[in-house]
Amino acid sequence: MTEGSPSRPLPNPGWGPLSALPGNPLMWVLILSEVVVFTAFFALYAWQRAGDVAGFNAAQQDLDPLMGGLNTLVLLTSGLCVALAVEAISTGGRRRARQWLAASMGLGVLFCVIKVVEYAGKFSAGITPETHLFFGYYYGLTAFHFAHVLFGLGLLALVSWRTSTENVETAAAFWHMVDLIWILLYPLIYLLR
Amino acid sequence: MTALPGSRRLIVTWLTLMMLTLVAMFSARLDQASWEPLPLASALLVLVATGFKAQRLLMVYLNLRAATPAWKGTFVGLVLLTLALIGAGYAAPRLI
Repeated sequence: MTEGSPSRPLPNPGWGPLSALPGNPLMWVLILSEVVVFTAFFALYAWQRAGDVAGFNAAQQDLDPLMGGLNTLVLLTSGLCVALAVEAISTGGRRRARQWLAASMGLGVLFCVIKVVEYAGKFSAGITPETHLFFGYYYGLTAFHFAHVLFGLGLLALVSWRTSTENVETAAAFWHMVDLIWILLYPLIYLLR
Repeated sequence: MTALPGSRRLIVTWLTLMMLTLVAMFSARLDQASWEPLPLASALLVLVATGFKAQRLLMVYLNLRAATPAWKGTFVGLVLLTLALIGAGYAAPRLI
């Protein structure tokens, strides 16, 4: 990657190729690796679906795309709150940043509640990962993402306690990555048929 | 610390993301009583809306616009590759 023009200072001097990235450079390494991992799973899903389109479409009918859409809106709004928390702490508004972080965590918990309700509905209907390969992917991908949401909630709680610009910016980057993966996952699992 | 997007920009981006989510849901014809396969144009619209959402999130929420063009290209390119793989897997059984 380029080192940038001399007139434009690098956000992270001394980080080599990562010095041109804003925020914590290591978080960008994590974001890149996570997106690559999910992309591999998405490609595998698309490949296997191509071999059994009718079976995947029939299984997909048991999902509720409106509930998935609602969760998308909740997570995107949570992303806005955490971005506003970064903006608040960068201008010295520690109390306001904590309020935005609390709002973001509240919406993150709401996402988890909706997901658990969805899982419970599926299990009570006898739909398990063994029901069909589609549900193996559904449970596998959404549960892997769910684990990231839980970890992100822990990070947001931690930086609400240890509130500094760098900490909030780093946790926010992780939270946005969780958002990004859901943005890609939602149409694949819930919408495309 | 790099220059961060202001509140107004963040809110406009959020509104854009919400609208694009609704566009994707509408394109997926969730109102239909029967669960029929989507026309290719509708599926393409879902993927385009998703790609634009991912691009906005990267550039504004993650502030990637402050990075070099190479890094922007890397991340946007990865998103495009992901969507291309999804789209190819989706369209291949219909076109072959």
